[in-house]
Amino acid sequence: MSEALTRHIVTFGRVLREAGMEVGPGRVSDALRGLDHLDITSQEDVYWALRTTFVARREDLATFDRAFDVWFLRRAGRAAPPREADPRTMHKSARRIRRDPQMGREAAPAEGEPDSIGHSAHEVLREKDFASMTPEEFAAARRLIAQLAVRRPTRRSHRLRRDHRGRILDMRALARDAIATGGDPIRRSYRRRAETPRKLVVLCDVSGSMEAYSRALLLYLHAILRLGRGAEVFAFGTRLTRLTRELQTRDPDLALERAARRVVDWAAGTRIGASLKEYNDVWGRRALTRGAIVLIASDGWERDDHELVGREMERLHRAAYAVVWVNPVKGSPDYQPLAAGMRAALPSIDRFVAGHNLASLEALGALLAGIERRHDG
Amino acid sequence: MGFGSVDELEDALLGEAYLPQRGLSTALYLSLVIGKPLLLEGEAGVGKTELAKSLARASGARLIRLQCYEGLDVSHAVYEWNYARQLLHIRAAQEGTVDEGELFGPEFLIRRPLLEAIATDEPAVLLIDEIDRADDEFEAFLLEVLSDFQITIPEIGTITAKRRPAVILTSNRTRELHDALKRRCLFHWITHPSLEREIEIVRLRVPGVPERLAAATAAFVAGLRDLDLAKAPGVAETIDWTQALVALGCEELDATVVEQTLGAVLKHHEDLEMLRDETMLALLGQARAAAA
Repeated sequence: MSEALTRHIVTFGRVLREAGMEVGPGRVSDALRGLDHLDITSQEDVYWALRTTFVARREDLATFDRAFDVWFLRRAGRAAPPREADPRTMHKSARRIRRDPQMGREAAPAEGEPDSIGHSAHEVLREKDFASMTPEEFAAARRLIAQLAVRRPTRRSHRLRRDHRGRILDMRALARDAIATGGDPIRRSYRRRAETPRKLVVLCDVSGSMEAYSRALLLYLHAILRLGRGAEVFAFGTRLTRLTRELQTRDPDLALERAARRVVDWAAGTRIGASLKEYNDVWGRRALTRGAIVLIASDGWERDDHELVGREMERLHRAAYAVVWVNPVKGSPDYQPLAAGMRAALPSIDRFVAGHNLASLEALGALLAGIERRHDG
Repeated sequence: MGFGSVDELEDALLGEAYLPQRGLSTALYLSLVIGKPLLLEGEAGVGKTELAKSLARASGARLIRLQCYEGLDVSHAVYEWNYARQLLHIRAAQEGTVDEGELFGPEFLIRRPLLEAIATDEPAVLLIDEIDRADDEFEAFLLEVLSDFQITIPEIGTITAKRRPAVILTSNRTRELHDALKRRCLFHWITHPSLEREIEIVRLRVPGVPERLAAATAAFVAGLRDLDLAKAPGVAETIDWTQALVALGCEELDATVVEQTLGAVLKHHEDLEMLRDETMLALLGQARAAAA
């Protein structure tokens, strides 16, 4: 292969990386090796060869296609690169391929007096509604939030662990022990099924009416995700956005910032029914819901179609192990589920809880850890 | 596996009644020449598993299949000891003459698919089906196997593949796979075929199908995929359905026949409900027009 082509492919790898894809040196060398085996005058074969070596997930296919168009076909329109291929200017155009990041709005509650928080203030803080916290109070609360996420619900796995109270014979240990007794299985060891974390799927409403609470909830979810795999987090307002990757960052501030950048409809309107449908269609079909605890955090204000909310909740409920709905508004003493979307959803909810302050998040943690199938809410 | 070019591979697959799209055959060809596993994702029924079977037949290789499930562990995927034989061996031997090393030797080893694929001398296609169903621990283990094509059994030692098997992994994306695993694979996303191609596939797969029937079923199923169904049918369903229709001696699609046989295509109650009366008739009209 010519050196010019090699350099062209290597730079293309960099372009993809700048566009947000994970492209390591291994992929570049696969691409080069692959092209060695193909007729590189066939544009179609080159396209497929680069696609199969550079792309590792379906979500990246569109980015790849756009970059391929720009880089190899010099197709103007979205982002036309300069004809002289200066890598530095190229990278700028690659950046344009990526969707414009849109920063989430800062939640800065205006009410309430700033005060310093000592140990004695913790109790007050625990009961205080997230919406009426000052920025200082929220800063103190966020440290506590991380401590609330301690335990994930478990289920029995098919994997066996050695356990003397188990009922399944450990044949391997038995054969080994039988050497001493001339083949008679006198000493018997047992195994039993291990416990593994149950799948947890979270759908968090980030529309305008939830703004004060969704930040607190996302911080809580960030802490939950740090407890291990098998949890998926989605945000929804007018559309559904998967946030699991963004929230997996170790630093909670960075995680929240990334999440905010990913969600394009942060603090906009709500279409709960449509968002649930999108979840069911895309993720539910891939059996993500099956056997999972589904946690929905929303105030239930549906803008357009509450019948759709009811229908999609039923679908969700059929596949899930249990459905928990967290409604921050439920925290107020005289709350009644008047929002039409909320009323439509109620029949398909196993547990209906508040989530407006630290105390209620703590209660939520305890509930999740001990949940069993089909509780009455 | 000796295929000289993408076209040669396509022809060989075609000989086994598998009609790949260009992207898929390129990906498979590269996976074979580079010697990296191919990870296939896509909707159910687009022919992920079938590709591995067809490749095995086309190249005269043995198909070794590992069906993944939650809790799959080493004793089911890699190897297991034959405990009954071990116990008998101890009994048959003089007391105190059996030592552990003897008991955990090759003659007491049961090879499971992964070990079989590594240890076999014949050319083999290793199909690791629905890898997304296995759990993280197994995926981590698989990483080792797929990068070095060797397996270590503590009691025996390391077994290295004399000839690397072709490896195809499939995933239905019930969960995201580890990046580390993906890095070791080439990736291809299989889509539903175009209408013309699906008709070709049906005719290839269902010998003796009347041309108009093949066109009508493919067009009907393509129409179904545009509806908002709980589970959109794949090519596998189109083939099943056409086979059913041929078995019933149908020459053409009509409303009665569709109603009687639709269970071969739609497997969800809601979806069957949705396709009552006018929706079905509308689709049928389109399909017959396409076949005419």
